[in-house]
Amino acid sequence: MLHSDIKSRPTYTQLEPDLSGSQHLLIIEGDTVLPGRLDSLAGTFAPVEENLHTWLVGTQAGGLGLGKVWRLPEVADVVDAFACATRGYGIGDRLYVQGTEPFLWSVAKAAAIIGFSAEQIHLHHAGSLRRRVWCTHCHTVTENVTTSIASCSGCHRHLLVRDHFSRRLGAFMGVMVDAEAPGEVPAVEESFA
Amino acid sequence: MSIAFKPEETFRGDYSYRNSDAAVLRFPFPFPEDRYMYSVNIEPHVRSGPSDVFLRPFDVDEHYIAECRDKAITLERDPGRCQVLPHMMMAQWDTLELLMENLSADYPEQFSLIKEGDDFGSRWTWINRPLGIEQSFIFGNPETLPCEPFEYITRQAQGDFAICDQRDDNLFMDAGMVTSQADWSLEFDVGMSFMEWHGPVPLAHQTGVFERALKYLLMLRLGQPVRRLNWTMSINPRLDTSPESYPEWGPDRASVTPANAGQKVHLRVELQTLWRLPRSNAILFPIRCYLASLEDLARVPKWGARLHRVLSSLPPQLVEYKGLTRYLPAALEWLAQHDDGRELPVGTEPGITTLGPR
Repeated sequence: MLHSDIKSRPTYTQLEPDLSGSQHLLIIEGDTVLPGRLDSLAGTFAPVEENLHTWLVGTQAGGLGLGKVWRLPEVADVVDAFACATRGYGIGDRLYVQGTEPFLWSVAKAAAIIGFSAEQIHLHHAGSLRRRVWCTHCHTVTENVTTSIASCSGCHRHLLVRDHFSRRLGAFMGVMVDAEAPGEVPAVEESFA
Repeated sequence: MSIAFKPEETFRGDYSYRNSDAAVLRFPFPFPEDRYMYSVNIEPHVRSGPSDVFLRPFDVDEHYIAECRDKAITLERDPGRCQVLPHMMMAQWDTLELLMENLSADYPEQFSLIKEGDDFGSRWTWINRPLGIEQSFIFGNPETLPCEPFEYITRQAQGDFAICDQRDDNLFMDAGMVTSQADWSLEFDVGMSFMEWHGPVPLAHQTGVFERALKYLLMLRLGQPVRRLNWTMSINPRLDTSPESYPEWGPDRASVTPANAGQKVHLRVELQTLWRLPRSNAILFPIRCYLASLEDLARVPKWGARLHRVLSSLPPQLVEYKGLTRYLPAALEWLAQHDDGRELPVGTEPGITTLGPR
């Protein structure tokens, strides 16, 4: 679980079924599944299993007890699946997502577009602390950043990764670290492994 | 009231921006005491105060024409500085109406608004003489303006504007025209809630300043706008100190010496006002930026001495957050010559009515 005092970053919680919902969709990033985790989730979601649909992304791990299980290769397929959803999602739907932060916000953004409100979405951070970083200067997104200073994949400036988070972009802000004294780049630390 | 505009001055390149003596004396100096700390310093935005800039709800000064031109340059280079989420059209018209009505009432020599009715569907004609604009349009019909109403009117106003939508007992920054900001990104912050967009501010969260301010703003009433001053510092009289263009202006911070600090270092004061909008129930948040060099300010003896004391006693977290670290020692060294240690009266008034020669 991620604890921080970054005010713009949401607080993530453990997943448990919201019994006020009538349909439950659980989406799990395969890389973040530790041994025994799916069994434990199956136990937690047992009260709603009849109305549970689980999407396992990028894993062959079993999904016993997780309702109707789909397997999708990657997060882009989740976004596509939402974008092409033929059944309407409504106020009875609940969405639960487990994954790294970029995964959580890619899914949450796609869900918001088809009408999920914030109260219907529950996010659980798991796995790597790596960050998605948005370059303030060229607005390119750099994925999988684990260091305090990262090279922008768009303009190649050295970006200091600030503790300021945008849910809309699902990303942290990156600001040129040596703008005031070009070439003076502080030591790079492995901060978000 | 006639205003001697300075249409040729610039806020980039050769930085030819200068304040007249009158502009220095009306500068909204933000420090009533020798020390500064964050507080909920919100007060009613009435037509009076310690500086002339408070006399009219939307202040227009000698920099108006040059500032509108600088805004146009910034927008040309980065159109993302104006963003409006789709559900904000009603608030756009509210903003246009508020600005046109106040500007034409307070500056009849410069602006006129002729209305054939008050409601959507009425024909309005807007005349902006300083910028040479005359535009007839149908109030409520965006097709009849050259661009959307919020962009249209805020291109013709000094300062930045954000519109906060109110829902779920919170405020969301769902629109903005932001070209003279103190290092925050509209593109990054658009859509954020009140606590989220204030996330990076140090020290203030812990003391509950933002909870109290939010509670206060949620109750803001129509016709009873409020205001506060905020401040930071800039090197050169540059309006566009955005994070987007930081690679351009960042190096200036390393160019300050005790010899040039008087001309290069500027106090940047924001007059922030907050207005409940009538149809949308959103809150309009204009952020009007005033710039004065240390040299300008030291011509008012009380201000030169006070600024020296405030900057000497600033908490290190604020020095870092406001980006002063690199040049503060040089600025303090320059200001020290204007502080003889005498006791200064409380208050922000200049205490003099004319300035000595430069």
